[in-house]
Amino acid sequence: MLSFVGKRLGSLVVVLFFLTLLVFTLGKVADSDPVRTYVGVNASVEAVEAAREELGLDDPIPVQFASFVGGAVQGDFGVSLASKRPISDELSTRLPATLELAGWALTLTVLIGVSLASLYSRPGRIGAVLRFVFFSAASAPSFLIAMLSVLVFYKWLGGMLPAAGRSSYGPYDDGTGFYVIDGILHASPTYTWDAIQHLLLPALAASVGAGVALARVLADGISSSLSSPWARTARALGEREGTIVRRHALRNASSPALSLLAVQAGFMVSSLVVVEQVFSWNGLGSYLSSAIGVGDFPAIAAVCLILGAVYVVLNTLVDVALAAVDPRVRLS
Amino acid sequence: MLFSRRGTLERVEAAQASRRDSAWSALGTGEKASLIAMAAIVLLALIGPTLMPYSPIIPSGPQLAPPLSSGHVLGTDVLGMDMATRLVAGMQRSLLAAVVVTAVSAALGTLIGVLAGFRGGWLDSALMRFTDLFLAFPAMIIAMAVAAAIGQSLGSAMIGIIVVWWPLYARLVRGEVRRVVALPHVQAARVSGVRGWRLLWRHVVPAVMPTVVVTASLDIGAVVMTLAALSFIGLGTPAPAPELGRMASDGMKYFLNAWWIAVLPSVTIGLLAFVFNYAGDALRVVLRRTGV
Repeated sequence: MLSFVGKRLGSLVVVLFFLTLLVFTLGKVADSDPVRTYVGVNASVEAVEAAREELGLDDPIPVQFASFVGGAVQGDFGVSLASKRPISDELSTRLPATLELAGWALTLTVLIGVSLASLYSRPGRIGAVLRFVFFSAASAPSFLIAMLSVLVFYKWLGGMLPAAGRSSYGPYDDGTGFYVIDGILHASPTYTWDAIQHLLLPALAASVGAGVALARVLADGISSSLSSPWARTARALGEREGTIVRRHALRNASSPALSLLAVQAGFMVSSLVVVEQVFSWNGLGSYLSSAIGVGDFPAIAAVCLILGAVYVVLNTLVDVALAAVDPRVRLS
Repeated sequence: MLFSRRGTLERVEAAQASRRDSAWSALGTGEKASLIAMAAIVLLALIGPTLMPYSPIIPSGPQLAPPLSSGHVLGTDVLGMDMATRLVAGMQRSLLAAVVVTAVSAALGTLIGVLAGFRGGWLDSALMRFTDLFLAFPAMIIAMAVAAAIGQSLGSAMIGIIVVWWPLYARLVRGEVRRVVALPHVQAARVSGVRGWRLLWRHVVPAVMPTVVVTASLDIGAVVMTLAALSFIGLGTPAPAPELGRMASDGMKYFLNAWWIAVLPSVTIGLLAFVFNYAGDALRVVLRRTGV
């Protein structure tokens, strides 16, 4: 087990290194000229020279890469070409926003997956209709679900749920950046409930597709478990069908579901970027799309690196968890 | 020989025809419907834009006319361009782009997979290390970074997706090649002196292709969705190009008062993905039954 963990950690470092190298290289070959974006099209020759110096573009490429890696490790991603402020300032308020949304979306994904799993394998006509509905939901782009949920819960139901932003009250000055936790820490039910209401629609929009995919895998696992010899034994011993599903089949189906969840967490990153834009959620995703709009590649690179690192680390953790649960994984 | 070559050929053809019939009749109603819907959508995307009375990029009516207005079945957008025309043009754009992305990724992955699986040795491990590295990368994020580095256009979004899509095919094909190389007929060919490119081209590649084609047909829906997501966050060709993702995100500004300009493009994307996902599954059933 220890050598497995060691191997996975080794490849984690390698992947992170190449990820950084790739993003850095993309920045070098990028279509836009960083200096021009930084100082503007009409800047004087001296201003351009000064900006080159300031951005460290006169250094040899390997030196630039070394300082890029060194900075990234310490959370310093340089200066935004658009705002001319350190990118890390922006990230420090936006990362908690995205993580909070992602956490709720993942929780909703699991809830949707587990509650729909038993409906998925329903026999007969009702089952076929349900599968059709699920299939359509899984094919809908997350921004469509986002828009429809805003139309229903905000417009038609008279503002039942808010359609934009993270809070009606703004952040606490000494807060963690996770609004629900801040509300609880300040013992304010109003603030907490308001933050939860703001979270519901974006989290739902980001989790429907992943939840349905999870339900499908769980349903497959459950139905194959139920036809296995040990399920027959359990039945022969007089266990009720519901108990067999809950106690035995669901547990056996959870290993492939866990690895699927890791894959879905990767896809969720892209739906989060989209969903944040729809709900004006001040997270990394909306920062990314605004940086794309103005060609601010250092900011784009920073967001991609952070989200990429989260994804790679998450995958490693899931691999280790799977190996801990299932010894066969360790040996393959 | 029991029967002549000609007789054999006829028997094989008859068997194939009957298997094809049984494959079609073995499909469920939903699967048949999805294949028909896919054919209809492909037809609409191919010839639809030429049938439309308006141009997709020139205003042709009042601004923000709601759906079912006279002359504009699906309404008009902020600039007064006909929604129906733009949606059909957008479908064509999306589908062509998705087919190109899938085909290029599949070709690239097949090339690398065949090289790795057939040559083996150091080349195999080098190529597979490289492939695994790309598989370990977060696909969507790399696609965004690549597309953002190249610039805002459909082409750069396509390149971004190809960069992260080929490794799946490389892994798949490499495994298939190693399986096929060990099969009796390839062994027999090798024993009879067929070597190198000829063995590869005549015996290995034809056996691998069906898997690649089935996987590619299943991928189209996913590629349509990924392209749309990139286009939505600004990594597509800006307006007035009829690009579905971009139309949806541009329409967001007005959609509380004019829902159709944002919702209709999104529904179109969902419809494309749905039909191709469903039909891809049906296609896989057909191909498996006919034993290609």
